[in-house]
Amino acid sequence: MQKILLGSWLLSLLFCLPVLAQDIAVSGRVTSSDDGSTLPGVSVQVKGTTRGAITDADGNYRISVPANARLVFSFIGYTGQEVAVGNKTTINVTLVAGSQSLDEIVVTAQGIERDKRSLGYATQEIGGNILAQRSEPNLLNALQGKVAGVNITGSSGTPGASTNINIRGITSFNGSNQPLIVVDGIIFSNDVNLTQNTLFGTQPSNRLADINPESIESVNVLKGPAAAVLYGSRASAGAIVITTKSGRNQNNKTEVTVNSSYNVQNVYGIPKFQNDYGQGANNLFTPTSNNSWGPPFVGGPTSVTNTQNQVVPYQAYPNNVRDFYRQGSILQNSVNIASGDATRNYIIAIGNTLQNGIVQNTKFNRTNVQLGGESKLKNGLKVSGTGTYVQTVSRAVPGGNGASAFGQITRIPRSYDLANEPYQGADGKSIYFTPSTNNPQWSVNNERLDSQVDRFFGNFQLSYDVASWLNVAYRVTGDTYTDRRKLILPISSGRAPAGQVQQDNFFRNELNGDLLITARKDNLFMEGLNANLLLGNNINQRKTQESAADATSLTLPGFYNINSGTVFTGTFESSTLRRLVGYYGQLSLNYNNYLFLELSGRADQSSTLPKANNTYFYPGASVSFVPTDAFKINSDVLSYAKVRASIAKVGRDADPYQLSTVYNKSSYGNNVANIVYPLAPNNTPGFSIDTRIGNNNLKPEFVTSYEFGVNLGFFKNRLSIDATYFDSKSTQQIFNVAVSNSSGFDTRTTNVGELQNRGVELILSATPIRVGGFKWDATLNYTLIRNKVVSIAPGVKSSTISGNSFIGIAPSIYEGSPYGVIVSTANARAQSIDPNGLYYDATGQFAGQYVVNGTSGQFAPGIANSVISNPQPNYIAGLTNTFSYKGVALSVLVDTRQGGQIFSFNAVDARQNGSMYVTGVDRDQPRILPGVIQNADGSFRPNNIQLPAQTYWSAVGGLASEAAVYDATVYRLREVALNYTLPKTLLNKTPFGAISVGVSGRNLFFYAPNFPADPEVNTQGAGNIQGLDLNGPPNTRNFGGNIRLTF
Amino acid sequence: MKFILPKSYLLVPFFLGMGACSSYLDVNVSPNNPTSVTPAVLLAGAEGGSAFVNANELNRFSSVLVQQLAGAANSPATYDIYQTNSADFGNQWNGELYNGPLINYQKLIELGDATNSKVYSGIAKIMKAYTFSIATDVWGDVPYSQALQGEAFTTPRVDKQEDIYKGNATLGIQSLFDLVREGIKDLDATSTLKPAGDDIIYGGNLTKWKQAGNTLLLKFAMTISRKEPALAASVINEVLTGANYITSNANDMNFNFGSSVGSQDPRYTYMFVSSFQNDMMLSTRYLNLLTSLNDPRLPIFFTKPGPNYVTIDNGFRGTLPTPTANWSRYNKYVTGNSGEGPVRMVTNFQRAFILAEAALRLGTPGDPQALYTEGITASMTLAGLTPAQITAYLDANPAVAKLTGTTEQKIAQIITQKYIAFTGNGLELWNDYRRTGYPTLQLSQNAAGINGTLPVRAVYISNEVQRNPNFPNPSPQSNIPVWWDVD
Repeated sequence: MQKILLGSWLLSLLFCLPVLAQDIAVSGRVTSSDDGSTLPGVSVQVKGTTRGAITDADGNYRISVPANARLVFSFIGYTGQEVAVGNKTTINVTLVAGSQSLDEIVVTAQGIERDKRSLGYATQEIGGNILAQRSEPNLLNALQGKVAGVNITGSSGTPGASTNINIRGITSFNGSNQPLIVVDGIIFSNDVNLTQNTLFGTQPSNRLADINPESIESVNVLKGPAAAVLYGSRASAGAIVITTKSGRNQNNKTEVTVNSSYNVQNVYGIPKFQNDYGQGANNLFTPTSNNSWGPPFVGGPTSVTNTQNQVVPYQAYPNNVRDFYRQGSILQNSVNIASGDATRNYIIAIGNTLQNGIVQNTKFNRTNVQLGGESKLKNGLKVSGTGTYVQTVSRAVPGGNGASAFGQITRIPRSYDLANEPYQGADGKSIYFTPSTNNPQWSVNNERLDSQVDRFFGNFQLSYDVASWLNVAYRVTGDTYTDRRKLILPISSGRAPAGQVQQDNFFRNELNGDLLITARKDNLFMEGLNANLLLGNNINQRKTQESAADATSLTLPGFYNINSGTVFTGTFESSTLRRLVGYYGQLSLNYNNYLFLELSGRADQSSTLPKANNTYFYPGASVSFVPTDAFKINSDVLSYAKVRASIAKVGRDADPYQLSTVYNKSSYGNNVANIVYPLAPNNTPGFSIDTRIGNNNLKPEFVTSYEFGVNLGFFKNRLSIDATYFDSKSTQQIFNVAVSNSSGFDTRTTNVGELQNRGVELILSATPIRVGGFKWDATLNYTLIRNKVVSIAPGVKSSTISGNSFIGIAPSIYEGSPYGVIVSTANARAQSIDPNGLYYDATGQFAGQYVVNGTSGQFAPGIANSVISNPQPNYIAGLTNTFSYKGVALSVLVDTRQGGQIFSFNAVDARQNGSMYVTGVDRDQPRILPGVIQNADGSFRPNNIQLPAQTYWSAVGGLASEAAVYDATVYRLREVALNYTLPKTLLNKTPFGAISVGVSGRNLFFYAPNFPADPEVNTQGAGNIQGLDLNGPPNTRNFGGNIRLTF
Repeated sequence: MKFILPKSYLLVPFFLGMGACSSYLDVNVSPNNPTSVTPAVLLAGAEGGSAFVNANELNRFSSVLVQQLAGAANSPATYDIYQTNSADFGNQWNGELYNGPLINYQKLIELGDATNSKVYSGIAKIMKAYTFSIATDVWGDVPYSQALQGEAFTTPRVDKQEDIYKGNATLGIQSLFDLVREGIKDLDATSTLKPAGDDIIYGGNLTKWKQAGNTLLLKFAMTISRKEPALAASVINEVLTGANYITSNANDMNFNFGSSVGSQDPRYTYMFVSSFQNDMMLSTRYLNLLTSLNDPRLPIFFTKPGPNYVTIDNGFRGTLPTPTANWSRYNKYVTGNSGEGPVRMVTNFQRAFILAEAALRLGTPGDPQALYTEGITASMTLAGLTPAQITAYLDANPAVAKLTGTTEQKIAQIITQKYIAFTGNGLELWNDYRRTGYPTLQLSQNAAGINGTLPVRAVYISNEVQRNPNFPNPSPQSNIPVWWDVD
């Protein structure tokens, strides 16, 4: 009987049951002190509970409250207010405008809503309204410049390109440094699944790309371990807590919102080329050359014979690279239906984003369907749930060094008419001026990686007030997706000359069960001391599977099916399963609403660590003090002050299967030539020991973090400052330490090293002008992080970061340097320190200058194993100015990244090939490399050996030299959005509740003083390897219009 | 409807979670990789590595340096003007040597001993010695005695090449000679498991392995013969006395690849399949040499798709000949019909040429002329010429067939024929060239490199210098000879 009851209860739980009767219904209207206008979207919270409402479009709210409750009204840009309900049923409130309310309610770890003033650590909330309608379909990109302490780098402007995000620096040598993503309480995978090597393949999306920015209510960034400790191990890199729109704030109304936007994308940020010299070398035309060191157009031949034996004009094609890209477009449409009242609500959200990329044939088509709701049963049980289905279909073309469209587009001679020369023969194979590689046009029209992601994520929560002071809740969340991919490399493709078809299928599933028990006691021990206690348990399981059927040596051109292949040795499967059980608790004490103390702790038990070491505990503590309230300071100058401090430690487990040394199927070689066992003709199987030495004594790694901060509000909070200093130390890192390859291995997994991050975050908000209906708001986000690898392992000064990299250009950890520096060959320099060392200059006069060979006039052999590039910026800052007048709002975001270096294959290619602009300047003049020549007696003289331009530019340095390193400083007009909301009076006779139209643009302008292109690229995508511009697609400039209709 | 959920139900998951932990968390055994394997799969996997390292990038490098091939683009063109540095050969050092066949021979030795299958250990020791000789001949001093020990030595000592070849009891270094001798001895031990098809080289034929091992001793002895003539002579005398070495082409130590993609000889893949296929072709200089000697092996070793052989000179930087389809490339003798190879690692003709040179240089037993003729004949037979054709050639070309002049001149003749016979095995050619200076090579056009000199060693890879402080930094450049290279 009980089972039947339970079943019918489950069926009826969402919308069916009537209201709980004991509460008082309170309603009212909230207005602004400025002009008396009504305020929509104001948060109305029953103090000390999670119960709340939001005012509707007309500023009205309705909420049911227990007797003797107090209501807290808060709204961004206004000072909060607290009102005792007593036995009133109507409460109208006028909020006083300030630049920013400093008492907002924010969502913290495990979905706990907290008064911001009580937090002893930094969090930053971004409203959905400043992420949507910004010409940007990727949520992470839309956050750029808007959050302090966060470093976000897109990889390119192509559809679905992945984006890297790090909060407060890099805290793990080897583990993921991407923050934990939580969507409506659901731990949400932001993985990047790779089908191809990142040096030679497509750069797939990070799976946060499955979220539609239009569906977001707010994003809260939990920056430090203290904020995220309740999420446990996985939040040691911070957490991004996303709340999607719900029906929670509808007051017995059903609202339908329709959003549409259309944007165009154009390639932006490719280097400037010279257009004076054409194909060839040494001033001679060579039809097979990918250099532009040939004769000048003025005074050179007027026509030449190409490799197809056609006579073609010899002239510059100034836009032959730019015209390779087409105009892309992004069409976004969404419909939201939200409805509800105080006891139940629901939302249905449907959205679609269709992007056609700037690279031919690339696209990204995402459809989201969300259904969610909550209901409070008569018996006090609260049930809520949401489920979202996403389908993301995308097509990308392979990139990377060598034989890819983007590996070749930088090597096109200035006189090659890429757009009009034939690129494909009757046999379907590539036609190009050089037989040794593919025509970029052929590549983008024939090679591709198709992907279809089907994803479902959802949560279901039961919550019950056992007593007025005790709530018990259980939440189950799930996130699962399949990504079915097909890689097609036709016959004659540079990457697979005999052709390759790969069906690569990914599956990922994560389940979480969380028990949350919250107890509350006011006036504990003494008057004014309120306590909250949370106890929780988390059971987590993560499962992944990748299986690939791989066929090479295709028999039928144009038939791209596994059945077309004759060799299947690339076929493989790989699965992982990991589990974790966590117990956590948090005690929050609040003394008279001006002094707060919070103690938290979590113990995790992980499947990925050896049994003896698999349980680990970590604590956190924070305090917050509001002196303006404590000392009743009521000044118009200093309106609000808060000081805060926290300390926390977070432990992290290993990846699965790190404990043993394993064997792999044998294979040798790389993209040039390779063999894979079993080996024909007899299908002889072969196995080889893995290059990593396992470790059965592995322990968890830890991040310990301190932070101090102040929040100050001046002039009724029209000017506010939120400043934080943080210092984190990562120890006992689980890392694959590089070992000498002659040991027979490449790495060994062990606990080593120390990594330090120190930094300052600053958020400055101001409303400099508020006159009549005109308002100017400005927000500055500033991030300064100093990261340092303090130590690695005894005897190990440097080690390469896991991932794909070219030998000799190794993204590394290097003792004393920031994380991720690139270790390669540095130019030899004169020095005055070591008399026995190379190039000792006793006078010191030439110390630091490059050493040049006295015969050749070229640089002396370089010094291997030198740090030559540091990808980490000095600081990042973003300034948003918003101007609003009546229904018009203009927001302008400029940001800058100061310092940090980029290692650019593209720039080196174009320079060595003589196509970059600088190589055409005074080409007929001899040049002298900067540096000094060592005389026979050991002294030095300035280099005076003249080199022709071609020799000079190739002597400056190629790949694996410091000449490939550029300063990545950039200033950018990141985002402009102009929105107009029609006055309500115009809509009275229409079915519309609100109409707003807007135009927006992204990446409209950038200025990079020291790099010949846009330095904000990162070909290896999201992950620990940053700062490499490795023959990937460029960035885009987007602009378009949007309309939002509410019924 | 009234339904009250008993409060205690909500606590059930909590206790379930706690109670079930021990087995719930016991899921960390990889379903993807084995943690133990059989000797058979280790042997098969490692043998392919030894063949691969011989025939891949190091062959392109050395074949271009000794001017059998000429570089048209990319790295072969760079090598052709003698440019090489620490960014080169990282994949060879790692994946094709130390992290490839070498560590797996080491594991096979351990596994063979542990499973009472010493035969596997024996083959592994012989192959380990062969493969280590590639490492030391290319780079000079390399990690050897402390290498391949995993965690025991994460930064192994760099052993002197002299100690690798000769052994050093004080430092605990076993000589390559002793390693081979030990391997041959292991082949006679009783063995639970025995190789068959998993031994891609000899199909489990232990007699052939013993012959290969002894012939390998001859190769090592000859390599150090100019530095250590007495030791070389004594090793050669030892092998001659034992009289169990390769004396027939059928017993050559060859590795056969397959004809399908992913199983092909890298020399075939590179020249005929990969996107780099137009990086190299036959050198004009080698064409001229073979033409001047009327050598009948020319069309067998290299293709002539058009009316003439299409070649470029070494270091050539002008317009490349078109169409590329007509370029002269390795023929089926080297690559097989579709990439089967074989890679000829230790051969009968090599043995004959070594003994001919040793008889002249070291006074070891044997008639230099007879051994010389035997070498040419073995090579030509291997190339598919009939005995009649061979005799006709030798009769018609006495300048080739007869050793004449001074000992040095005779040695030049021997090495030149060995150079032709070993077409496709650039490492052996480069070793002989560095050791003897034959055949005489003119500098390539546009010679750059270190002061325009032909490289006589590879520069230590930067990764290794970065990771192992035992390596000298800065490392010796490509113009510094290795220990056995006396001039």
